[in-house]
Amino acid sequence: MAALPKRIIKETERLVSDPVPGITAIPSEDNLRYFEVTIDGPNHSPYADGVFNLELYLPDDYPMCAPKVRFLTKIYHPNIDKLGRICLDVLKDNWSPALQIRTILLSIQALLGAPNPDDPLANDVADDWKKDEKRAIEIAKEWTLKYATKKD
Amino acid sequence: MGNVPTKETRSRSNTDSSSVSDFITSGGAVSIQNTIAASSRSSQRRNTTSFNGHQRSASSELRRMKRQQEKDNALEKHYHQLIVKFNEHVDGGYLAPFGTYKSNLDYNCDVVRRLIIEGKLSPFFTPLQDFDESWTDEELYIILKQLPLHALEPGFNDEEEEDDVDDHKIHKSSNFYKRQEEKSKLKALIARVKEAQKVEEQRYLESKATSTDMSSRDLLLRLYRQPRECPICFLYYPSHLNVSKCCLQPICTECFVQIKRLDPHPPHEEQANANPNEPPLPHTLISEPASCPYCASPNFGVTYVPPKDLCTGIGGIKPSQYKQYTGNGDITDEEDEKVSRTNKKTPPAMVRRKSATPELITIDMIRPDWETKLLSARNKLARKAATASAIHASNLIISDSTESASGVTDDTRRRRGSGETGRRRGNTAGSASNSNLRSIEDRMIEEALRLSIIDEEIRKKKAEEEEAKK
Repeated sequence: MAALPKRIIKETERLVSDPVPGITAIPSEDNLRYFEVTIDGPNHSPYADGVFNLELYLPDDYPMCAPKVRFLTKIYHPNIDKLGRICLDVLKDNWSPALQIRTILLSIQALLGAPNPDDPLANDVADDWKKDEKRAIEIAKEWTLKYATKKD
Repeated sequence: MGNVPTKETRSRSNTDSSSVSDFITSGGAVSIQNTIAASSRSSQRRNTTSFNGHQRSASSELRRMKRQQEKDNALEKHYHQLIVKFNEHVDGGYLAPFGTYKSNLDYNCDVVRRLIIEGKLSPFFTPLQDFDESWTDEELYIILKQLPLHALEPGFNDEEEEDDVDDHKIHKSSNFYKRQEEKSKLKALIARVKEAQKVEEQRYLESKATSTDMSSRDLLLRLYRQPRECPICFLYYPSHLNVSKCCLQPICTECFVQIKRLDPHPPHEEQANANPNEPPLPHTLISEPASCPYCASPNFGVTYVPPKDLCTGIGGIKPSQYKQYTGNGDITDEEDEKVSRTNKKTPPAMVRRKSATPELITIDMIRPDWETKLLSARNKLARKAATASAIHASNLIISDSTESASGVTDDTRRRRGSGETGRRRGNTAGSASNSNLRSIEDRMIEEALRLSIIDEEIRKKKAEEEEAKK
């Protein structure tokens, strides 16, 4: 495997030395481009108190193209589908090489706090969300409790 | 190809910046001759093996060959311009990228080299991987002296093996072989370029002690004593980097040439949904200038102000002659002037270079081919659409006989009026008898068989000739 670009090495070091509250990202031992990520659900959102597992992969062209990020924990959210794929502009066309792993994970955390049913990825969830927001939030809370709570 | 390209021979096609950018190498020239020979061989073959009127006129064949040759030459030149050469030196940097990025190097080398020489874009500096302010001048100098010309792991990812769409077919189309041929040609070219970079690296090492093209200690320290980190690649560069015009953030030239338009794409929903039921039409494909990576302002561009006290390399003094008055530390304006006053022997070219006012350099300037790319993407989509509707139309003919009811037939009749199906079916339009349909199907199958047999024969002949050559 090709040597790791300095940018990835430095980003990883800075993630360790200056971690973001509520977010962890640990590179895998056998592939330093693959990260195991956890994101805490933001307070005052249906995902509060949940800890969500994600995987993040830095493709060969990184930072000229966006990292690939996916939820591993089941989550009820209009912009995240059954497979954990995330609909977020900065992960696609609006990616900028000046963004980093840290900023992307913060954007995902912000997306949990501000679901956008008008630009859905999971259509059924988005429909529920639009029809009866209260009920949808209830389900999201239930799922958080069921799938995203730390096992002690 | 065994021959190692060495610099020298002047190319014919070079129009601008005479003294520096002439570099089709002798290795390159040989390979071009080979290609010409190869393509003329293949054209002979095609003429002798022409099947039922597939003959092409000699002149169009010639034109095609010439186009191909021009394309090959351009590619050859492009890759050779990506080689870092230590005597192509501007203010302590070079005209080719260090090699931080392995792909996306399709920017226009002629333009970028010219901009660097004219002082409108920062040269490609060799990056420092790490930097510590506590390093003494001596320590820093030792590290700087050991920097290679190009990343130690030279490689271009463009050669990645992609599975060809035709790989699974038993009889491959002639296009498949053409693509394969092009791929292997590119691979050979990249191998030659890598080899050439190694040779250059070797020459650099050998002439370190003697050549006047080497940066003096003063120059190196002047550049790297207070380096700045590029926010994109996280590498350290001399502090006078290019800056974005919108938000004044620094960006090194190597990262700048990576930034380009997205591939042509259909417009986003907000812009396009005037007519939601219409399928995407080829002409609706769009391509927009890249936005600033830092502040997302549209139409990204940078400016560069070359430092006043520096003018070494092309159009300036020899890099080995650069002397700094105060040895190290900050340079005040006063010292700046002192230095420039002492450098009186600098040639007039330098004055021209430095007097240029900062000019906005956009990403479209260094990739002027975006428009051609957009057009070709539109054409491709248009061809696809045409094929799709042809297939669709022929499906309708068949379904016509089995379901004679309602909408489908109406639709078919309407379509039949338009030339596409009428031409194929002659005068039978409107009365679709089963036998007629079968004969059309049979004929289509026969035609497909015939084409694949021809392809296969051409391929065999080619293989035999290749064998015979060896």
